[in-house]
Amino acid sequence: MSIGLPDSTVGVEDHPASAEPVRDSAVPHGKSPTRIAMDRLRKDKVAVVCAAVVLFFILIAIFAPLLAKLEGADIGTFHPELVDEYGFPTFVANAEHWFGVEPKTGRDNFARWVYGARPSLIVAFVATAVGTLVGVVMGLLAGFIGGWVDRVISWVVDFVLSLPYLLFAIAMVPIVESVRGGSFNLSPDEQASTRFFVLIFVLSFFGWAGLARIIRGEVLSLREREFVLAAKAIGVPTRQVLFKELLPNLVAPIVISASLSLPAYVTAEAGLSFLGVGLIEPIPSWGQTIATATNWFKADPIYLWLPVLGITALVLALALLGDAVRDAFDPKTRR
Amino acid sequence: MQWKRITAVAVTVMLAVAACGSPSSNNSSGSGNTGDAGTAQEKALDPTLKGPAPEVEGAKKGGTVTVLSDVTPDTFDPTNTYFVDGNQIEKLVFRALTQYKLDEKTQKPTLVPDLAEDLGTKSADGLTWTFKLKQGIKYMDGTPVKAEDYAYAIKRSFAHDLYDAGPTYQTQFFKDGEKYKGPYASGDNYAGVETPDGSTLIIHLAKKFDDLPFYAAFPLFTPIPKAKDTKKQYDLKPMATGPYQVASYTPGTELKLSKNPNWDPNTDPVRHQYPDAWNFKFGQDTLKVQRQVLASSGPDANALNYSDLDSSLIPEVKDKSQIITGGQPCTYVWGLDTRKIPMEVRKLIAQAYPFDTWRKVAGLSPQSAIPASTILPPAVPGYKKYELEGLTGKGKGADDPAVASEIKSKLKDLGKENFELSWYYSNDDKIATQVNQLRTQVMTAAGFKVKAIGVPKAKIRTMRNDPSAPVNIGQGPSGWCSDWPSGTSWYAVLFRSDAVELSNSIGMLQDKKLDAEIDRVGALTPDEQLKEWMKVDEMILKDYLPAIPLYYTASYYPVGKNLGHVVNDPTQGLPEFTSMYLKQP
Repeated sequence: MSIGLPDSTVGVEDHPASAEPVRDSAVPHGKSPTRIAMDRLRKDKVAVVCAAVVLFFILIAIFAPLLAKLEGADIGTFHPELVDEYGFPTFVANAEHWFGVEPKTGRDNFARWVYGARPSLIVAFVATAVGTLVGVVMGLLAGFIGGWVDRVISWVVDFVLSLPYLLFAIAMVPIVESVRGGSFNLSPDEQASTRFFVLIFVLSFFGWAGLARIIRGEVLSLREREFVLAAKAIGVPTRQVLFKELLPNLVAPIVISASLSLPAYVTAEAGLSFLGVGLIEPIPSWGQTIATATNWFKADPIYLWLPVLGITALVLALALLGDAVRDAFDPKTRR
Repeated sequence: MQWKRITAVAVTVMLAVAACGSPSSNNSSGSGNTGDAGTAQEKALDPTLKGPAPEVEGAKKGGTVTVLSDVTPDTFDPTNTYFVDGNQIEKLVFRALTQYKLDEKTQKPTLVPDLAEDLGTKSADGLTWTFKLKQGIKYMDGTPVKAEDYAYAIKRSFAHDLYDAGPTYQTQFFKDGEKYKGPYASGDNYAGVETPDGSTLIIHLAKKFDDLPFYAAFPLFTPIPKAKDTKKQYDLKPMATGPYQVASYTPGTELKLSKNPNWDPNTDPVRHQYPDAWNFKFGQDTLKVQRQVLASSGPDANALNYSDLDSSLIPEVKDKSQIITGGQPCTYVWGLDTRKIPMEVRKLIAQAYPFDTWRKVAGLSPQSAIPASTILPPAVPGYKKYELEGLTGKGKGADDPAVASEIKSKLKDLGKENFELSWYYSNDDKIATQVNQLRTQVMTAAGFKVKAIGVPKAKIRTMRNDPSAPVNIGQGPSGWCSDWPSGTSWYAVLFRSDAVELSNSIGMLQDKKLDAEIDRVGALTPDEQLKEWMKVDEMILKDYLPAIPLYYTASYYPVGKNLGHVVNDPTQGLPEFTSMYLKQP
């Protein structure tokens, strides 16, 4: 799993896990909540299967060039000889083109499919990582320092949450393009990459605020707890209190938030690309392919099914995994 | 690459062609798998044809025909209409001085009188045209049509600032055409039209315009009573003279027509009044409505769509009779800026063009796009097929590595290695981006350097129309359609020097010799022109190569199963609405 769990051992060992049941003497004393959660996850069959599926897609994305090379095709070459005069592929699949070819252009479906996993995963993971990082820091600061810092951050959070995210995603592209020198001076690849980074930025920008609010609430209740007061009383520096005392207790909400936002971002990327405001050619993406393939569904179903299956499996696996992670971290579900 | 607009003849100031419209068009003769762009229209006239039009065999009266259109005509004001679909729909409502009658078997159009008694009489010097008007014509409210109404309609068309989309030949050819600014700005006194009595309309010209009877078929020549002119609101409640009147019009969405009780079939040699009503719905989703029409279930059996069938829907065609085919007088080209690209390089670009691959990637089916080897399409009289090497509209071009390396070495010999080609493409249109990738790949393989500039679809026409655009390929119109069956509506508009300034130029040619040749042929009699235009055509492609001819268009659109007598009108490339009926009303 590469959700980027915080280091689960730092400063956690000495905390008695709350409501820890009577433990066997053989079990090491003071198992951390994270450790307990991980143990439970490992026993959860659904979680393991889902983790495997996610891992599978990550490997596909990482080794996309290798896989395409293995097949002997690439994403950009047109093969007009493989489609008939009306644009329909002349075959379903063969040894050179494992998943057939795209209607009209004759580009290789398999290569475009494996490359299509990349933007979905990169956008989702980067946006989640950035959103989580910013959200946690902002939430910690607002909750712990309080006063005007809290008021400013809370105001910014409210402000961000009130912005229309779809409008933002659409409007950002021309703005960034003009900053990069205007669409006149950008090659098609540069225009496509602009879209890519704008998408990541928009998703991260709108992702952090919700988490910051949750973290702030948690910190507000935690900072009055004895261990924090004690740490402050003996003069532990603020940074250490924040990151050594408070953060470990926030692992659960953070992990849950991250695990829920991952599938949401995968869907968001595909949805925006489907609508034509996300990624554009020449970057291959599943959302775009679905948009085109719906027209060809009757004649060439595999062209539509591939990206649909990819997105469905990935989102389902990430969502179930997120559920399992939440269950594992939630003391109330302990059996 | 889409248009639904008739384009201008001669030197008119108008925004160029390739307007919004349906995708490419097709034409298939039943089982054949390649279309043809139609046979040449004869420039036929029949000044004596009288109404009523002979009944269509088996036609029934009654019912409502629904037209589900993905494109939206922007206006139904007769003065402001220049797009072929608006033009064609308005034939149901407005009668002009002349009109086309289609041959029952071959669909060949013949120009026949409409509201005029004949096709006009020309004075000896060719500068005065007299039209005798039919008497007893009434508007839909029963008020009689007066000769002044014709004159007013013509004067109204000079208010080009208000009716900026309409055709503008009158400003070029009519007397005082450049000075007179329409009845709103310049008053009713205009020397170009005259109505000496209630049955005569006289038009004075500034220069010879022998195609005037053809121009008189445009809806702008329908009578408009001055008292009823509501300027820009006129299309909401226009004065109908045709078999139907406007029941309601919601701009951009819907147009409903009902029967005009005061239309007299005995005066009209072409139109019929079979259905009770028409219902046009605009701005529909292309694929959705084409599927609906093909399936023809329930009310969809009475519907039709006049855009060419999307190639992905071709396997869904079960009944060939649901597809209407026929010619369209249009050619698409890829313009090469002759000012910026040397002739030798232009030839190499033409050699490198990947016609076959491009056609597939652009989604043009064999019916929709017939490979072009000339500028003039076969549907225009005078067309004679010729093929120059490398300009056949077919072939792999530099998609073939051998050809690519050959071109590369030739470029090197010319000292033009990495010659930069630049063009605009719509970056928010999927097909356009794929076509751009293909062109970029192929031209790069052939040793050119490519700079493709992605711009939004909404802006691309304006940017291409700018003669000083910083690109050297694809400026100006991306294609052209005939306004009427004559080569005069092609060469003088597209390739004369002054076309550059009017943003109509394809290839930005400014060549004195060519101008002289075009003027020479333009001054010949129509019959002599027929033979000469094709020589000009060949000379342009051979000696100047201002554009690569890509394809001729042809009609290929789906209609519901309950519609009878749907024929393609080759003058517009659209269904002929006025003789259609419902088999089971």
